[in-house]
Amino acid sequence: MQAAQILINALVLGCLYACIAIGFSLVWGVLNVINLIHGSFIVLGAYLAFGLYNALHVPPWYAVIVAAPLFFVLGYLLQRLLLNRVITAPVLVTLTLTFGLDLILNNAMIYFFKADYRKLTLTPSLGSVSILDVVVPVDRLIATAAALALTGLLYLLLRRSRIGRAIVAVRLDRDAAVLMGVNVPSIYAIAFGLGAALAGCAGVLMALIFPISPLTSSAYLGKAFVVCVLGGLGSVSGALAGGLLLALVEGVGSTFFGPSHATTLSFVLLIVFLVLRPQGLVGRKGFE
Amino acid sequence: MASSLILETTGLCAGYREIQVLWGVDIAVRRGEITALIGSNGAGKSTLMRVLSGLVPISEGNCFSQGRDLTGANAAEILGHGIVHVPEGRRLFGAMSVEENLLMGAYLRKDGRAAIARDLDQVYATFPRLLERRRQAAATLSGGEQQMCAIGRGLMSAPSLLMIDELSLGLSPLLVEQLVAALRALNAGGMSILLVEQDVTTALDLCHHAFVMDMGRIVRAGSGTELLADPIVRDAYLGVLQE
Repeated sequence: MQAAQILINALVLGCLYACIAIGFSLVWGVLNVINLIHGSFIVLGAYLAFGLYNALHVPPWYAVIVAAPLFFVLGYLLQRLLLNRVITAPVLVTLTLTFGLDLILNNAMIYFFKADYRKLTLTPSLGSVSILDVVVPVDRLIATAAALALTGLLYLLLRRSRIGRAIVAVRLDRDAAVLMGVNVPSIYAIAFGLGAALAGCAGVLMALIFPISPLTSSAYLGKAFVVCVLGGLGSVSGALAGGLLLALVEGVGSTFFGPSHATTLSFVLLIVFLVLRPQGLVGRKGFE
Repeated sequence: MASSLILETTGLCAGYREIQVLWGVDIAVRRGEITALIGSNGAGKSTLMRVLSGLVPISEGNCFSQGRDLTGANAAEILGHGIVHVPEGRRLFGAMSVEENLLMGAYLRKDGRAAIARDLDQVYATFPRLLERRRQAAATLSGGEQQMCAIGRGLMSAPSLLMIDELSLGLSPLLVEQLVAALRALNAGGMSILLVEQDVTTALDLCHHAFVMDMGRIVRAGSGTELLADPIVRDAYLGVLQE
């Protein structure tokens, strides 16, 4: 039964990891920007959920609806006004810029929210469901379902909508996309806005489960990075596969070697993948 | 005045940074005709295409279409004006399906889903192979099918001028024949075509009017049959030695 519990835990956590990573993967894949502010966006989303719940009693599954447009606009403007100016520069320039922006946002959060760990506690608690010996808290189940829904929505948007097709087209062949009449700077801003919206929503969901502090942003960013490498950059299915694999490895690792070694194991896996399978599990060229 | 001219350039100069490629190019493309642009490798044909579609800026000279000045217009504006560029090497979106590629061609259109669906059927009627493979990733198509898809994607913008760069590159003679037949049919339906082609015989055989380009300049112009008979063209591009 322990194996079943580990598997269920990995499934639940894996979907959340995928949700953390897809926005990061989208921005990296389409804009070729390694967006270091992603982790802080997630934390900001978590604070939004925390604030909405404690001040207005809005539960996190509704807070997602608030977070998505808010973060989209934030990301869109950031790209339109700032990042688009250096988007054609070598990748190190955009990396440095997002690093600086991350410092600003993260320190602003430390200043305004303090570095204390906070926890969003639902009252009354939602309890947990157990089938045989496998126990899953209901709040985790809700977060997982929402994470899957967000992942599915992004997939549908990219495959079925006109804007989504344009985003994929820009990723695949920028010049050809220009020939189709696509306004590339505007697509960049939309893609970055989507990445920010996904980060904000992921943060809202994380608030259901994990403690909130500006200091956790680097952990989220690290997870997003590892998931992208494991699963393969630039596809929704890759993020899902990478997220599940990472969660499984961490679950197995912390059961057999103790929780402190789970992260060690996941980074060892990262190095193994970089050496043996740099394209990831389902590495492909298109973002689908 | 220029209403019968779907495209006209006067003294067009352009290039990449400090390297000038085009030196005062004058061409005219008449409505309803197939116009060919021939010349050897590096003559500037593809650069001219990229200038005409707005990918490379004009440094001097002008470009008009149906009486409207398109000098300095961007790619979206030129496409919106009905001039579409099917680029060299097809440049399909490889991971996207054939149908998604075709729909990308209609990206700018605002005349509604029904009109786009009608044109999609029209493209499938022109190239039945694309209908068979509509759900397949474009990267998995053969070279000829890719060219059909690229032309189809161009047609999906409902253009008044179809500019095709290197129609026959890397294709078997049989496939080239099929594509040529398709272009003839399109032209018979009223489509104006500007064709860049290295296969001079095919191009001159197909076109009404042709321009010969060398070192970034237009060095000869005339009807296809005139140029086919031109000893200098024969000598330089057809590999036929004069007696």
